[in-house]
Amino acid sequence: MRGMLKLENLTATVGEDDEAKTIINGLSLDVPAGEVHAIMGPNGAGKSTLSYVLTGRDGYEVTGGSATLEGDDLLDMDPEERAAKGLFLSFQYPVEIPGVPVMTFVRTAMNAQRKLRGEEEISAPDFIKKSREIGQKLNLTTDMLKRPLNVGFSGGEKKRLEIFQMMMLEPRFAILDETDSGLDIDALRTVADGVNALRSPERGMLVITHYQRLLDHIKPDKVHVLANGKIIKTGGPELAHRLEEEGYDGVLGEAA
Amino acid sequence: MALSIDALKEKFRNPGTAELELIARYAMLPESGQRERAFEAFAETGLPHRRMEAWKWTDFRAALKQVEASAQGSQCAPLPAFEHPVIEFTPEGVTLPDTLPDGIKLHPRDEAQALGNAEEVPLGAMTAALAGRVGGMDTLIIEVNAPTDTPLHIVTRGDRGETNFARIAVIVRPGATLDLIESHVGGVGFSSFLIEIGMQEGGVVRRTVLQRGSADEAQAITAVVNLGDTSEYTQTALAFGANIARLETHLRHQESGSTATLNGAYLTAKGFHADFTSHVRHGAPASVTRQVTKGAVLDGGTGVFQGKFHVPRTVGQYTDADMQHQALLLEDGAQVFAKPELEIYADDVECAHGNTSGTLDPNQLFYMRQRGIPEAEARALLTEAFIAEALEEASDSVQAALLDAARSFLTETVR
Repeated sequence: MRGMLKLENLTATVGEDDEAKTIINGLSLDVPAGEVHAIMGPNGAGKSTLSYVLTGRDGYEVTGGSATLEGDDLLDMDPEERAAKGLFLSFQYPVEIPGVPVMTFVRTAMNAQRKLRGEEEISAPDFIKKSREIGQKLNLTTDMLKRPLNVGFSGGEKKRLEIFQMMMLEPRFAILDETDSGLDIDALRTVADGVNALRSPERGMLVITHYQRLLDHIKPDKVHVLANGKIIKTGGPELAHRLEEEGYDGVLGEAA
Repeated sequence: MALSIDALKEKFRNPGTAELELIARYAMLPESGQRERAFEAFAETGLPHRRMEAWKWTDFRAALKQVEASAQGSQCAPLPAFEHPVIEFTPEGVTLPDTLPDGIKLHPRDEAQALGNAEEVPLGAMTAALAGRVGGMDTLIIEVNAPTDTPLHIVTRGDRGETNFARIAVIVRPGATLDLIESHVGGVGFSSFLIEIGMQEGGVVRRTVLQRGSADEAQAITAVVNLGDTSEYTQTALAFGANIARLETHLRHQESGSTATLNGAYLTAKGFHADFTSHVRHGAPASVTRQVTKGAVLDGGTGVFQGKFHVPRTVGQYTDADMQHQALLLEDGAQVFAKPELEIYADDVECAHGNTSGTLDPNQLFYMRQRGIPEAEARALLTEAFIAEALEEASDSVQAALLDAARSFLTETVR
């Protein structure tokens, strides 16, 4: 099957010109539509950098290789164009947006994406109905959705709001960057249920995590181990269990 | 007998062309003791200029080389008045509403009237001296003697006029309330508006101000407010500036237990200058002041905030006051000047202030762009949200219109 997200020999640096450090170093990855891949790796392996490089954050410069989504060159697009193309990042540290209520924010984002794609705006009643339904699934009350985005929310609530946005925006491809961090067991289940509800043959996902625990709830098709900026080992879900038991040192020692 | 221009000129030190024109206008007005005192006070300083501490960032003398007509009419609609009464001042004259809500009375006066203190502000004194019209009204007194729900609108504007000077005195009787909405929308080379508000026991005034001039205009909006026992004054202003624009408020807590809220937001683009200056005197115990000023400035725009709380030793006890000014420099080349001052002599008070200026947070911008919101739209939305806090206390009837004005400005100008 043809890859939906396809990275070939990707190299990227972080930092100013004279102090730029290579963090992604020849990374190749192929996630077909309909599959969920997990990326695991020790601290400093380049996991979050990968998510920022793919979404186009300033300060991350691609120095080689390619990254395409459904054949389109991601690296050529502004962050908002990548989003309109269907690329979504659930942030490890969701950002507070003071003064902008969750509902206003999501509706602005949804309509901005639609505009960039040349589609009609969503009608107010359709938007409200959809946000109510999804809010209920994630235990987010209407009151919470009226509050400014991420301001005064707990860590777990912020992660649920990330999944809320993902379910509202229905991206083609989602990257979940340590969505499990800061979640208690119940919240983890709620978040995983939301993610699983979005699994579909047309959608791909990349789940970045330190721990195997999240992968018990979101079963990946493949698990990749990222170290020193490249994928050094790929396997099935059992690889996550091995990492949990033997640690990165054990598995990496064997790979090296 | 007409006043001698030469004699009047003597009162000024080196009057410039603009001041000579103002002197000539004054000389044409009927003589009045009240106005003469205001004129003398104005002559002390002339048009305020940068060598005066309170005007170092807002130099009217330099900006107003001469009094000239604005090249264009007003570029901004006044705040929507719906069916509510409107008092309109133009260079041609004053239009008073046919009907007024119960509790509001208008008293046009040929003779200048004063509640005092206006002479302390140079442009307040100038306006008091020049607001008179030959054969017409000099001061408009608004007397409010009951609680009123209906907003009263005041509009100053012109259509390529030279000057528009207007003066209003508001007397708020015990227990009376007033919802006052002002739109100062330019269209005049030099406009200056003076409002003096005297509030008696338990009076409530909510004043909402929109200021927007063109890049070739000078505008001054001066308010002198005296708060009586347990009265409540709430002011919200949104300013887009002009070539030079100053919104100055002098407020005195004169009797105990009064509450003042002085909020404002300025949004200035290239060639526009907006100045919020305020002076609050806690001249009676246990009075409360809350002040939130927010600003966002683009390349070539200027914002000024000068705030002062003065808390005297004896009468200022139990003062509770908070002053916040936060500015966003949206682009390189934006300028913001700020001088928050707390002058506290009493020892049992709570006074706080905060003053920040910065840029939009790149983390917020990236987050929004990742969700599909283009950068310019993200910047505009974040800026709107940032200044909105300063507009929360505006009159309900125009709050949405103020936000709309801010939003459309930001949507059009922010890149």
